[in-house]
Amino acid sequence: MNRRTAASGGAVGLWVTAIVAVSLGTAQAQEVKPATIYGDMFAVKQDMLNRSAGDGNNFLHTNANYHQTRYYPARQINVSNVHQLRPAWIFQTEVVETMETTPIVVNGVMYVTTAFNHVYALDARTGDELWHYVHDVPPIENFCCGPNNRGVAVYENTVYMGTLDAQLLALDAKTGKVVWKQQIADPELGYSETMAPTAVNGKILIGTNGGEYGIRGFVKAYDAKTGDLLWTFNTVPENSVGVWATHDATGRDMHRDIEAEKAALQANGDPYKTLGGGVWQNPAVDLELNRIFFVVGNPSPDLDGSLRPGDNLYTNSLVSVDLNTGEYVCHFQYIAHDVWDLDAVSPPILTDVAGADGQPIPGLLHGGKTGHVYVHDRRDCSLIRHSEAMVPQEDMWTLPTAEGARMLPGANGGVEWSPMAIDPNLRLAYAINLHQPMTYHVDSTPYPEGKLWLGGAFKVIPTEEQWGNVTAVDYDTGKIRWQVKTEQPMIGGVLATAGGLVFTGEGNGLFKAYDAETGSVLWKFKAGAGVNAPPASYTVEGTQYIVVAAGGNTQLDYKRGNDIIAFTLAE
Amino acid sequence: MKRALFSALAAGLLLCLAQSPAAAQTATPNIAEKLQLCTGCHGEGGLPVNPDMPIIWGQNYYYLYVQLKDYAAGRRQNEVMTPIAAELSKEEQQALAKHFAEQPWPRTGFPAVEAAISQQAQRAMTAGACTECHLANLRGRSGIPRVSGQQPAYLEKTMLELKNKVRQNAPAKSSLFATFPDEDLKALAAYLATR
Repeated sequence: MNRRTAASGGAVGLWVTAIVAVSLGTAQAQEVKPATIYGDMFAVKQDMLNRSAGDGNNFLHTNANYHQTRYYPARQINVSNVHQLRPAWIFQTEVVETMETTPIVVNGVMYVTTAFNHVYALDARTGDELWHYVHDVPPIENFCCGPNNRGVAVYENTVYMGTLDAQLLALDAKTGKVVWKQQIADPELGYSETMAPTAVNGKILIGTNGGEYGIRGFVKAYDAKTGDLLWTFNTVPENSVGVWATHDATGRDMHRDIEAEKAALQANGDPYKTLGGGVWQNPAVDLELNRIFFVVGNPSPDLDGSLRPGDNLYTNSLVSVDLNTGEYVCHFQYIAHDVWDLDAVSPPILTDVAGADGQPIPGLLHGGKTGHVYVHDRRDCSLIRHSEAMVPQEDMWTLPTAEGARMLPGANGGVEWSPMAIDPNLRLAYAINLHQPMTYHVDSTPYPEGKLWLGGAFKVIPTEEQWGNVTAVDYDTGKIRWQVKTEQPMIGGVLATAGGLVFTGEGNGLFKAYDAETGSVLWKFKAGAGVNAPPASYTVEGTQYIVVAAGGNTQLDYKRGNDIIAFTLAE
Repeated sequence: MKRALFSALAAGLLLCLAQSPAAAQTATPNIAEKLQLCTGCHGEGGLPVNPDMPIIWGQNYYYLYVQLKDYAAGRRQNEVMTPIAAELSKEEQQALAKHFAEQPWPRTGFPAVEAAISQQAQRAMTAGACTECHLANLRGRSGIPRVSGQQPAYLEKTMLELKNKVRQNAPAKSSLFATFPDEDLKALAAYLATR
């Protein structure tokens, strides 16, 4: 079934075939029957995107809304009835590999993606397939941590996806046909795309993977209609040296040899061209400030700082730029000159927080691989506070050695890329964490031109216990409100709802609902493959659904599958 | 009229260029002779003549192309392969890689490994997160090689060469294998051959 845009899915496919045969017989006739109760309403208007935080019918953004709160306003499914939650339908994709997609739902039509860049449009009521797009197998692609894709962006009549071979595709939302495509960067040099793009004000925003390949990171804005490049923000400036910071955001000494770094800078110059700094999670959008906020990943090579003297700006940082121009506004670096890959990945959340004086201010939250939730003033990016550590931290910051140095957290965190959620009424942020002890090994090798370049190795310690947790943090105080241990390290994402619930899945296939206030497990379902994707929710014909992908995870080697599972309350 | 004539002439010129031997060679180089050379070692049916030579039938295209490129550039060295690759044009390297990528992986029938070896290998795979790149089926993709069903003697040899930096075209692998004792790599090779 290697069709690029074929209409398929039983009756719908037959229906389309009949129309093609008896009427126009042209490409136009290939349109698929709309599966929405709203008729032909595919168009996603900017106003809908702006108001998504209060939209209990659709799910229009990978992280629910522009502020990325992953707080869904519908409350039909709630703490008192969640025990009645049952699968309404299960859709199986063609691709049995890692799944990190967030389903996007527009007027009763759901868009999901798989590993290797398949896109499916489904009837969100039934799970029936409407169309299926298959990206041509590219001859050249590079990915460090699995052939992932985290989903689509939707804007007007178009669906947007980034690909493993570093293209940005615009697909017709009704048919899945390619409207335009752009080559974002050269995959031969390690650039690739796994993030869902962000659509805002006629622009499609996308960053890049490649921090393990010696790329130079960026965020780019494309014209949603034409695919023309509008602006590029390089996440690594030509002067990446910074202020020679000796301590991290929490005040701990990072044991840098500043004199040796200065000598290396003198000898070899600024390393900005191959310094990494990928951005592979969605930016948060502040429409009032007209700015976006995103976090920048690790420097290249990950473990070997000798080749990259300086603070390695803006790696491991929160960065804000102007939405219209991409011009720098402010940044905050968590770990300067990182040699542990404990970088900034989980997408930032915008919400009001208590400032240093206790008064409410426009804030920003980021869940770090270090195991802290960082709370910022988003007007100037400054740090207000950090939470208690959510996972064990031992011997920070022990420098990597040739033989391998143990330090906790391991290089996957803390909080990996998994998006957090908040409940703005309870003023809690929900994070999922890993405890995965590792040793850090350094081995200096020159830039290998597009090959994996770690400057050493991360090694899981197989004899040590691994586990995970779900943690609720009071972002006004930084205190942990509740914490629930899980059998395995956690990766995937969180959804909170106005029903007082927190949903998240595990590598062992369990998908659970927690009481947002107390952490009590109120419901669980065994999916049969790892539930390692962020959940979403929507309402069609008066019925609220919770939906999640169960496809396992490559990075942590959780059991692979190919299911999209939608749940409703039992009648 | 002039414009039409010019267009016709231009079209004729393009047609001639397209049909010239040089252009044809660039598009699809004749690799028949080279293939004979390859099969001399890598086998008529995809099974190499020596156990420490790799199976390349069904191997991933981009990986094969990069290996030929790296042999030619000296980043990977082998007394047989280095001079062969150095003689190949880029187009020939790509055509050969494409040819072998399109062949079926041969039947091998390597012997099953003992439970203790299997456990040792699986521990090493967990520690090294092998499936993160080689994927759950261990067949890799694009620039990541298939390692399942590969010749065990070749796997062990090439992992040791990476570890000892004799093979220098995959630095991340060199760094990783440097953290493993040789016995783990031997177990891994035996285990992967049967997957």
